[in-house]
Amino acid sequence: MHFRRILACWATLAIAGACGRGEPSSAAGAAPDGGTLVIAEPGDADVLFPPLTVSIVGHQIADLLYDHLAEIGDGMQTIGDQGFKPQLADHWTWAPDSMSVAFHIDPRARWHDGVPVRAADVRFSLDLYKNPKLGSPVAPLLTNVDSVSVKDSLTAVAWFHAKTPESFFNIVYQLWVLPQHLLDTIPPEKLATSEAARHPVGSGRFRFVRWEPGSRLEIVADTGNYRGRARLDRVIWAISPDNNAAFTQILSGDADMLENATPDQLKAAAGHAGLRPFLWPSLQYVFLGMNFRDATHSAQPSPYFADVRVRRALSMAIDRRAMLRNVFDSRGAIGYGPFPASLATADTSLRLPPYDPAYAAALLDSAGWAAGANGVRAKNGKPLAVRLLVPTSSAFRMSYAVLVQDALRKAGIKVDIDAEQFPSFVAKQTAGNFDLVLAGYGTDPNAGGAKQNWGSTAVPPAGFNYLHYRGPAFDALLDSASSSFDPAKAKAYAARAYQAVADDAPGVWLYDVVSFGIISTRFHMPAMRADGWWQHLADWTVPADARIPRDRIGLGAPKP
Amino acid sequence: MSTDTPGWPRRRALWHAPGARAALGVIALFVAAALFAPWLTRYHPWQQLGIVDLKSLPPSWAHPFGTDRFSRDVWTRILYGARLSLSIAALAVLVSSTVGTVYGAVAGYAGGVVDAVMMRVIDALLSIPRVLMLIAVLALWSPVPVAALVLLIGLTGWFDVARIVRGQTLALRDREFVVAARALGARPTRIVWRHVVPNVLAPVIVAGMLAIGNVIVLEAGLSFLGIGVHEPMASWGTMFQDAAEQFVTTWWAVIFPGVAIVATVLAFNALGDALRDVLDPRQLPVHPAPEPQEQAHG
Amino acid sequence: MGRRVAARLGQAVVVVWLVATLAFILVHAAPGDPFGFDAPNVTEAVRAHWRAQFGYDRPLGTQYLLWLGNVARGNLGYSHSMHEPVRDALANALPRTLLLMGVAVALSFLLGVGLALYQVAHHGQRRARWAGRVALFFYSVPDFWLALVLLLAFAYWLPVLPAGFPVDMTMHAYMTPGAALVDRVRHLILPALTLVLLTTASIARFQRNELLEVLPLDFVRTARAKGVPERQVLRRHVLRNALIPTITLFGLSLPALLGGSVFVEKVFAWQGMGWLIVNAIGLRDYPLVLAGVLVSTVLVIAGNLLADMAYAIADPRLRVD
Repeated sequence: MHFRRILACWATLAIAGACGRGEPSSAAGAAPDGGTLVIAEPGDADVLFPPLTVSIVGHQIADLLYDHLAEIGDGMQTIGDQGFKPQLADHWTWAPDSMSVAFHIDPRARWHDGVPVRAADVRFSLDLYKNPKLGSPVAPLLTNVDSVSVKDSLTAVAWFHAKTPESFFNIVYQLWVLPQHLLDTIPPEKLATSEAARHPVGSGRFRFVRWEPGSRLEIVADTGNYRGRARLDRVIWAISPDNNAAFTQILSGDADMLENATPDQLKAAAGHAGLRPFLWPSLQYVFLGMNFRDATHSAQPSPYFADVRVRRALSMAIDRRAMLRNVFDSRGAIGYGPFPASLATADTSLRLPPYDPAYAAALLDSAGWAAGANGVRAKNGKPLAVRLLVPTSSAFRMSYAVLVQDALRKAGIKVDIDAEQFPSFVAKQTAGNFDLVLAGYGTDPNAGGAKQNWGSTAVPPAGFNYLHYRGPAFDALLDSASSSFDPAKAKAYAARAYQAVADDAPGVWLYDVVSFGIISTRFHMPAMRADGWWQHLADWTVPADARIPRDRIGLGAPKP
Repeated sequence: MSTDTPGWPRRRALWHAPGARAALGVIALFVAAALFAPWLTRYHPWQQLGIVDLKSLPPSWAHPFGTDRFSRDVWTRILYGARLSLSIAALAVLVSSTVGTVYGAVAGYAGGVVDAVMMRVIDALLSIPRVLMLIAVLALWSPVPVAALVLLIGLTGWFDVARIVRGQTLALRDREFVVAARALGARPTRIVWRHVVPNVLAPVIVAGMLAIGNVIVLEAGLSFLGIGVHEPMASWGTMFQDAAEQFVTTWWAVIFPGVAIVATVLAFNALGDALRDVLDPRQLPVHPAPEPQEQAHG
Repeated sequence: MGRRVAARLGQAVVVVWLVATLAFILVHAAPGDPFGFDAPNVTEAVRAHWRAQFGYDRPLGTQYLLWLGNVARGNLGYSHSMHEPVRDALANALPRTLLLMGVAVALSFLLGVGLALYQVAHHGQRRARWAGRVALFFYSVPDFWLALVLLLAFAYWLPVLPAGFPVDMTMHAYMTPGAALVDRVRHLILPALTLVLLTTASIARFQRNELLEVLPLDFVRTARAKGVPERQVLRRHVLRNALIPTITLFGLSLPALLGGSVFVEKVFAWQGMGWLIVNAIGLRDYPLVLAGVLVSTVLVIAGNLLADMAYAIADPRLRVD
């Protein structure tokens, strides 16, 4: 989840058209400050502490309440510092050897409690992120950043271990600067459950008001902010128990926005004049993975999927396009391979096994799985019966499970659906306790990102290679891609690496996660950026004549 | 066992009880649907007919109840759903009635401290919210096999039956035919089996009828929460849950399973009511009967 | 009486402890743990670190004793699903459930007994039979079904009432006290109506049978013979006697109500105890699940105890010992 924003940066390049769906910004400048955005949100935030948050709402809060040293900019470039714009640092200077960079903090920057932001805060933040006692999931991304030293109260120098294409991006993008004076008295291992993690104090254009877990979360414009106050007065996340309840709030007008709408909900909302759909890409993709190991004896190879013929047969027995249409109507995005299509290194011309049930049957025959009793294939008396692991929390993946089950039944493969709640899904996925899995991967934006999912070194617990896939060619090609300073070369290596995976057919690439949201037409917004629809939220406006009572609440604090 | 056994409704009386015929008719209809499902439809309940072109079709001649979002025939799934929903309910009630009868009979016949302890245990078990407990267990181990679902529902539903049977047994154990049997040297198990059980069967059956309705509701509720019967199997509750979100666009996939659930439960409850009305009202469940009528028994 | 209450209290403590222990074993034996949440970029290594931080890697016996000690000291732990102390999570959810159940119990006992009286007063007549059928219908419909139908009817087709949530999540904090009260009541109507309809039906059915059972008894016949008007016979003699078992029913209906409220809370997005516990189970939030089980068990047992005491006071035969 952490990388989804970053990845989505790249997405702007790929799906620029989609991102440009915002309202014309000409009207935006004219509207006065004010207005309330209510987001109907089926999932709550996890913790309001940037180093530890893994939820989407948590990330939104981090982005809106806290600042990075520099902002990646709408160009979304990750190599060097090209395109980066000043945020907390008003300028920066590289050392001649490129092994360090000095950030000069904007002297006007203040924490929301009025204390000025200082270089020491940057040093404190990096140390905290990297502190093993905290256990931040972001820490591995900061391994190339050695340390931060304080040159003077407004100058922080970041030191790198090695000269890599993405050194600057790493520290600037992964690190939110935190207030030392509020956090340094709390032991790092206690931070996750501390009051401070529930009452965030940042330096961003919005400030925190209150959080009632499971009910609502509220932020307001920081009127004295050094980057200018947020144009909206307040943003409220109304937390719903499920997507349906969230949708009813949209229809009744109690809420303005739903991030993720199902095709049915989009259809139902189409008749409402005050609502319009919007699209936001992410860096996640979902595929049907095949376990290379035995589901119950993980030391042994899978009796089914160790054979590439069986894997290819599975790929060819599944009509990916028909399933996409069934689940998403016309709004789905087909998977092209072991990466989301919005990735800069994505290659949408990969050769994948085509849908061909007859060929699939022939492959299974040749692999020794002959047609048997009750239409289930068998080999040496062992039926081709597999268990498909799927999380109940994902309605889309649940639908795919039912579709895959019937498609494979026709191919003579018996599939039992093992629908698990997320915690037991994670437990089983990590332990390799499945034959097939409907897995969702979020990847790193850079060329080497796929390594965490498909690399030989990424088997759990180190990474996310739950299938225990091993492709030496893939590993080598990807290494070449990630160490390249030339984007074109990186892309060429990556494409060859992806093709190596595709040829081994460890999975069937079902779809890219592309979310459709619904929003009230009251809101005027600058073009929506792909690394999260909320990136420019501070610049959204509500025209004076479109305002409704809740837009006029003003900045007063709510009653306790 | 003659038809004059206390508490047994005379067949004709039941036939004339208000609502009984309609209830029996509805139940017969659904049981027939369950039994003859393969002859009443051309499709298989899991069969996806065409996931792009034939999904979410409104009712038509080819698909009288329409198709669902996976292009499966709703009529077919209702028929096979009747199998699942009814047999889960029947088996679960069988489990709970058996356990309850044995437990109640033992407690009532043993009396004294054993009885007191056994009844305290029931009190304790009754203070655990049944639905909450089922939700907890099922959600923690979801997905559970149907057999486990049946056992879980059955084993959490026998407390009432045990109380009824225990009350009846207490009243019976000092009746002359039981005393006589004991004097003749019959073993307690035999006495309970031969003399007590037949006499408490009627109220147990009434309670069972009402319990079947309850269990159908319960199973549907659990499936509605996504922790009961699982895909691709189709109980009415699963079907209802699966389609509930698409109510606005695919109402037929929600309405028909919903109607099936309500109609069946109504029928079983109405039949239970009718049975009870036919029985001596003082033999009703819930309270130990004041004094059973004089009855020759042999 | 005092001894009786003391004995029941002692028994209650044992039951609570047993239930809590059983729940502890159940949640820990189930697959998954509190750190299995949906976050595709958190590695197993990081999850293991967090697990250790909260002591979930320790032997189960140790965890059990620690937990027992903490609960005994009133420390219910930290909720991983709500991200706040368990105490705070309960403090938010419990009042919502109590409000819903309180309204449901009060109204449905009034309505249920009323309906039963109506049926008995007109026993054998057509209107009594119709009342019986209505009661049978609401007794038979599933809770989630009725909730959904009411939601569709009064929030979509005839949009006069809010479609869920205990209050208007956005505006409630900014309302005047009067408006806030109206807001609360409007949100309460549909979920409470669902529970009231369901519970009224079972109470009416139960109460009607009780009344019919008391009617043929001697003291009723005597009263009638003395020329007491029928209405008064019903109210004074029959109802008073028939109400006693209904008090027990009140105690017994609490677990059912708690269970039913899970469905109602789900359909109406009513973030009460049922929602909290189901949610916590789904996320393997051990401390919150256990606390939820504890609270509901205590709630039910307290209800039973109250009913018991009321029973003892109402029924003179029990007062003797």
